Amino acid sequence: MNLYEFEGKNLFAKYGITIPKGVCVYRGEDPVQRYRELGLSELVVKAQVLSGKRGKNAGIRFCSSRDEVENSVRALLNMDLQGQYVAAVRLEERMDILEEHYLSIVYDTKIKQPVLIYSREGGVDIEEVGEDKIFKQLLDIRLPIVTCKATQPYSAMDGSLRHFAPCDDILWSTIQNCWNCFLQEDARLVEINPLVKTREGRWIAVDAKVALDDDAGFRHPEWKGYAPRTMLGRRPTDREVNAKKIDEGEAWYRGTAGKYIEMDGDIAVLFSGGGASLANMDALYRAGLRPANYTEYSGNPPREKVYALTKVVLSKPGLKGLWIAGGVANFTNVKETFQGIADALDEVRPKFPIVVRRAGPYEKEGMALMEECMRRNEFEMKLFGKETSMSETAEVLAAIVKQGAN
Amino acid sequence: MGILIVKNTQVLVQGITGKEGQRAAAAMREYGTEVVGGIRPGKGGTQIDGVPVFNSIKEALEMFPRIGVTAIYVPPLSAKEAILEAIEAGLPQINVIVERVPIQDVAYCLAAARERGVQVIGPSSLGHITPGVGRIGVVGGPTPLVDEIFCSGGVGIISRSGGMTNEIAWQVRKAGLGQSTAVHIGGDVLIGTDYADLLRLFEKDQQTKAVIIFGEHGGSYEFAIVELIENKEFTKPLAIYIGGRFARVLPEGMNIGHAGAIVERGRGAVEKEQALKGVGVMVAMHYEELVDLIKPYA
Repeated sequence: MNLYEFEGKNLFAKYGITIPKGVCVYRGEDPVQRYRELGLSELVVKAQVLSGKRGKNAGIRFCSSRDEVENSVRALLNMDLQGQYVAAVRLEERMDILEEHYLSIVYDTKIKQPVLIYSREGGVDIEEVGEDKIFKQLLDIRLPIVTCKATQPYSAMDGSLRHFAPCDDILWSTIQNCWNCFLQEDARLVEINPLVKTREGRWIAVDAKVALDDDAGFRHPEWKGYAPRTMLGRRPTDREVNAKKIDEGEAWYRGTAGKYIEMDGDIAVLFSGGGASLANMDALYRAGLRPANYTEYSGNPPREKVYALTKVVLSKPGLKGLWIAGGVANFTNVKETFQGIADALDEVRPKFPIVVRRAGPYEKEGMALMEECMRRNEFEMKLFGKETSMSETAEVLAAIVKQGAN
Repeated sequence: MGILIVKNTQVLVQGITGKEGQRAAAAMREYGTEVVGGIRPGKGGTQIDGVPVFNSIKEALEMFPRIGVTAIYVPPLSAKEAILEAIEAGLPQINVIVERVPIQDVAYCLAAARERGVQVIGPSSLGHITPGVGRIGVVGGPTPLVDEIFCSGGVGIISRSGGMTNEIAWQVRKAGLGQSTAVHIGGDVLIGTDYADLLRLFEKDQQTKAVIIFGEHGGSYEFAIVELIENKEFTKPLAIYIGGRFARVLPEGMNIGHAGAIVERGRGAVEKEQALKGVGVMVAMHYEELVDLIKPYA
């Protein structure tokens, strides 16, 4: 889960990383009241989004009066920032910036360990800063204290951070606080850009980008307090929220059946397996169809979970077809998962064509019950086993849908 | 010969008393894998389907000092402890079947494993199979299904997806070919054994004539293949399909499919395909094409 800047900053404050004084204006709140609470005259007004380059797209504004603040807040809340939904606006004290540095900790997939990344040249153009000006150091996940020896495979990169960064105790403690935050909050990414040094010599995290590891949710009950979110540039739809609930509760790790992303096409999909879902989305577009959703269940989820997911998938209005597709399952019980799908089909009784491709354990029983479901509901349904590949069945569905449209 | 198991490899199942562990132990034995014991603290001295259960790996090793491989089926919150126990006990190969292990726990275990020279496969791996020799986990499913899909041959398979490991093995079989070893490496951000690690093993394996990979957008593991081929560490024919072309339309930072399939500029399916084509890897536009590309060499 990616956090908004203001949420990231709350975590920073908890770990002793200095942040600018500020308040948040949520939708429906009075910006003037918040402005008065803050009691500062020179302000930065910042749109709260999950992704995208805010600084370069007018998502950050400098204000010097009440009217400017009020107008900026209203403008930002109505803005579409590179397709991102603006959840709130943060009002902050303006810093007297001397230097902008960059600091982050993230998992490196090459060495499979967290790495500390630091540069003296932070700010909006960090992506253009040369490799020679970026210091990377492997961190030992087993040590709660940051040690400053660069280790393999980054040893080539100019020895120790002590030679690279200014000798400044506050900077060092900020790095340590960042590491504490990364470890204790189960973060996948902690990024401060810019980490500002002010003219008075203070070090302040002017921005915050934090991604939490959803898989560690079991040891963070406090995460339930974060508002639902999607990175698709809008609030999560009711269907997305309802689907997510399927994987919560006691059997949360018994299979996955809560993945639903609403899209703007008209072909409902119900894929089994993460890899198959990627291949099938590609195949669907290639067949000239447009998905109404992205959905995938895997890991042998129980019948009830698949039923609930199918209900969500079928609840979208305006559907023109349903593609149920998966590879040759290793251990997902085709009968049990198909029973969940059939339960939902019996209730919803869709009128559009349905194409099914699946194989694996209990495939005969699974296909038989799907066929019975088709008969009793008089569905326009075609069933395929492993003799026909998944992509071929996308073409079959495309042909039926196009025929119906003519 | 298998690149990860051979005949007579002795295997342990951690978490054998759980539903998944019990089923996996049965599936492995059914396929001829020598499962010598299971672990469940507090249940030592009992049996599961005739397999002795031990309280700890140390106890199991006292009776079976030749154990070379473990497969872990415990809930995610116990995964770290179970993996570390296996590392401490000095088992050379650990298959982490558990899904949704916190990334911090994975990194911790991988750091410990690297220090001890232990091979970790997974997490979120279904396991691997060497047709006619044995399997770890339930790759291929129950018999007779597994025998419809797998037979000994010259094609090595590596996949980020468990379902696609089986689906691609089936496409290989349908084309009249067989598999040498098929490995599901898992779809997480951090994985213990990646494509490059396995390609090095396939390079040395005489049975393997060519390799097929099912990859995904996001992460950097596919780029490591480029380096490997440039360094001539892998020289056999290789065909790859990278799922998730469509993901270009999604915002950066979002993941879809598996945890490691994160939308990142410069690390999409198309960029990976281009980099791999540059070193002579055969790139399939859809997964069914993989076998057509590899057939002349296998």
